[in-house]
Amino acid sequence: MKKNIFILFISFIVLAFSFSCNKAPDTNTNGNSGTIEETVIKDFANNVALAQYSNLTDAAVSLNGSIVALTSTSNEQNLQGAQASWKNIRHVWEQCEGFLFGPIEDNDYDPNTDTWPTDYTQLDSLLASSNNLSVSDVANLPQSLRGYHPLEYVIFGHGDGRTPAELTPRLMTYASSLAGDILYNNVQPLYQSWASTPTNFAQQVIAAGNGSTKFTKRQDLFLAIVGAMSDICNEVGAEKMYDPYINTDSTITESPYSGNTLSDFKDNIIGLQNVYMGLNGGAGIKDLVASKNKNLDNQIQSQITAAVNSFDNITETYEKAIYTQRVQVQSVMTQLNNLKELLDNDLANFIRQYVLD
Amino acid sequence: MKKFYIILSIGILVVAFNRCNKAEDFPESGYDERLSGGAATIFDATSHALTNAMGGLNERDQRVHEIGDQTFDQTFVAPPSPIFTGLGPVFNNISCVNCHRNDGEGIPTAGFSNSGLLFRISQPGQDANGGPVAIPGFGTQIQDKAVLGAQPEAIFNISYADSMVTYTDGSSIVLTKPNYLLQNPYTSLPSDYILSPRLAPPLVGMGLLENIPETTILSFVDANDKNGDGITGKANYIYNEYTKRKELGRFGLKANTSTLALQVATAYQQDMGVTSYMQHEESADGQSQMNGVHGDVQPELVDSLLNYVVFYVKTLAVPARRNVSDPDIKQGSVLFNDLNCSGCHRPTIQTGFDQTLAQINNQRIHPYTDLLLHDMGSALADGRPDFLATGSEWRTAPLWGIGLLDIANGTPYFLHDGRAKTLEEAILWHGGEAQKSKQQFMQLNKADRDRIVKFLKSL
Repeated sequence: MKKNIFILFISFIVLAFSFSCNKAPDTNTNGNSGTIEETVIKDFANNVALAQYSNLTDAAVSLNGSIVALTSTSNEQNLQGAQASWKNIRHVWEQCEGFLFGPIEDNDYDPNTDTWPTDYTQLDSLLASSNNLSVSDVANLPQSLRGYHPLEYVIFGHGDGRTPAELTPRLMTYASSLAGDILYNNVQPLYQSWASTPTNFAQQVIAAGNGSTKFTKRQDLFLAIVGAMSDICNEVGAEKMYDPYINTDSTITESPYSGNTLSDFKDNIIGLQNVYMGLNGGAGIKDLVASKNKNLDNQIQSQITAAVNSFDNITETYEKAIYTQRVQVQSVMTQLNNLKELLDNDLANFIRQYVLD
Repeated sequence: MKKFYIILSIGILVVAFNRCNKAEDFPESGYDERLSGGAATIFDATSHALTNAMGGLNERDQRVHEIGDQTFDQTFVAPPSPIFTGLGPVFNNISCVNCHRNDGEGIPTAGFSNSGLLFRISQPGQDANGGPVAIPGFGTQIQDKAVLGAQPEAIFNISYADSMVTYTDGSSIVLTKPNYLLQNPYTSLPSDYILSPRLAPPLVGMGLLENIPETTILSFVDANDKNGDGITGKANYIYNEYTKRKELGRFGLKANTSTLALQVATAYQQDMGVTSYMQHEESADGQSQMNGVHGDVQPELVDSLLNYVVFYVKTLAVPARRNVSDPDIKQGSVLFNDLNCSGCHRPTIQTGFDQTLAQINNQRIHPYTDLLLHDMGSALADGRPDFLATGSEWRTAPLWGIGLLDIANGTPYFLHDGRAKTLEEAILWHGGEAQKSKQQFMQLNKADRDRIVKFLKSL
């Protein structure tokens, strides 16, 4: 009898436990979670994307001003001013690459301004020719003769520094039109494509899952955002850093003549960080993650911080570091790879699990 | 007597085992219809939906795929250059990805840096290998761009004319027909030249298509239309210049290329002017544009990089279908079959064996193509024969991934020259062997027409 009662007792306990087992994951998408999603999306569109594209426009206006000044008075001060403006626009641009989807892809603003490598054979032919070099002429050149990198060649020189005396009128005409092509044909239309009709991509983002024709579900948008974060991580860690490193070849780095390659890389990852953390007081993806899984949020935040900070261990230009600081270079690539894994697996799965509308 | 019992026992055993449940065909409903590419399917509906590697590649294959991906995206520059040299002297674009945008399709313009339309050219007749007759000084493709100092072979002016199509229910739709004008040929061109516009197509599932057994493709041929559905289907046999053999064509808009390797190598040579071990002559060989090329090294593309790009294309995943349980989409699928669209756009095919790559090995796939040539009617005809393809025949375009082109490419374009901006327009351009299906489509009410389009968008 005792035995039977014991079995009955055990059975009740098991039954009780079984009720507490196998709960469906909390997939509440209305109320609190839905509100957080809305805020994160709205703040991504306004405080990150639009704000950064607006900064990019300011930087392109400033670059044009510096090139105009250098064209009218070719001296060391104006050359340095143009170089500083170039580095400034690269700083903003590389951060914008943390969310590379939408019009920037669809309308080719990225390859129009940031194609690598520059076609130096054709560049020499172009400068030696008497072809017209207005902004519209430059816009019709192959992408390997447009954008930031040919301009880098003009104002930083090809390996041995640039002096004001070398800046011929022909070279400066090309530089002016390159800067004009960046501003008028790419950066301004990029901002407009997010800010106003007919594309109004910011509105497409904000209306995700609620009438947007580009993102019929919010999950699609969040996966696109996370996918773009992962892509830039991969592009920097597994391609742009890895290729010169594994081949021990500094001629295949991104911005060799300005020595800006390393800061290009770091800014790319800061761009990713901006998307995750939010900018200008707005919410970021972190707020959505933290609301459901604080542990995952902590993990992602600390991995992003570790990746961004790891660049500071490289104290030389990247072109030198691939020869002299290989351990530090390898360590950055490892951090980026870890971050990519975390984004591809944990964060993407989190989105699939919790963002269901 | 003992024998009797033994025979009786065996008899009983046979009867008894006969009563066992025989294996039945695995029911259709047991398959997950989202898996368009079988094991090579990936769940991604973002703008990168067409760019993913197949899942489960081993570490080495993953690395080869990645290098192929980088090379596919890589801009090539004019020689001499220490890196990525070999562009031109004449070309259509400077990288693969500029035409196959996000591994999707091109933009149907000509002459711009992002143009994805090119023009094949030939004279009437067949060459010694049964292919199109090359035009001296031009070959079989017009390169409408050139490096500085050289002249493009010609440029194109595209104009458009609208026409109205009216449904049985009275509603109507405007179709836009492009007209192509070749201008400024760099040297004299015979007057009887024939042009064929070709828009860069999406790369979805190429590895799987390459692994469909020839016998399977040939089994779809119905030369005499025995089943009387008005659809015949013809295999194209092409001459492979590298293997020096006649082979079954399965790639290219007229099934005019037999293998992925030949497709990729010919694209590098013809579209970019980049030579390789498979296509080692410049497209402009013997032409005056070669005069400006100095310090060039042949072949321009490293052997392994060509192989890696081929492997990259081969291992691109197929995006999964979306919303398959939506009742409208289910009904659209039924209508698609009822109208016999599936007569050419075959929903299901089994791939062959390939022990080197499990993801494409013996997979049940849903490409919606038969890889055969069909007469598509006079409105779509280019009038230019290509091996066995006549001037009005085109290869059935695979439809997998077609519903993601607007997300992957911003604006979708359909058909061989991208003239259709919506799937509905694309259907209405069909003629020839597809005339009957199109007419039935036009007789449907709007709700059913929308269901078919919705179904296509789920692919």
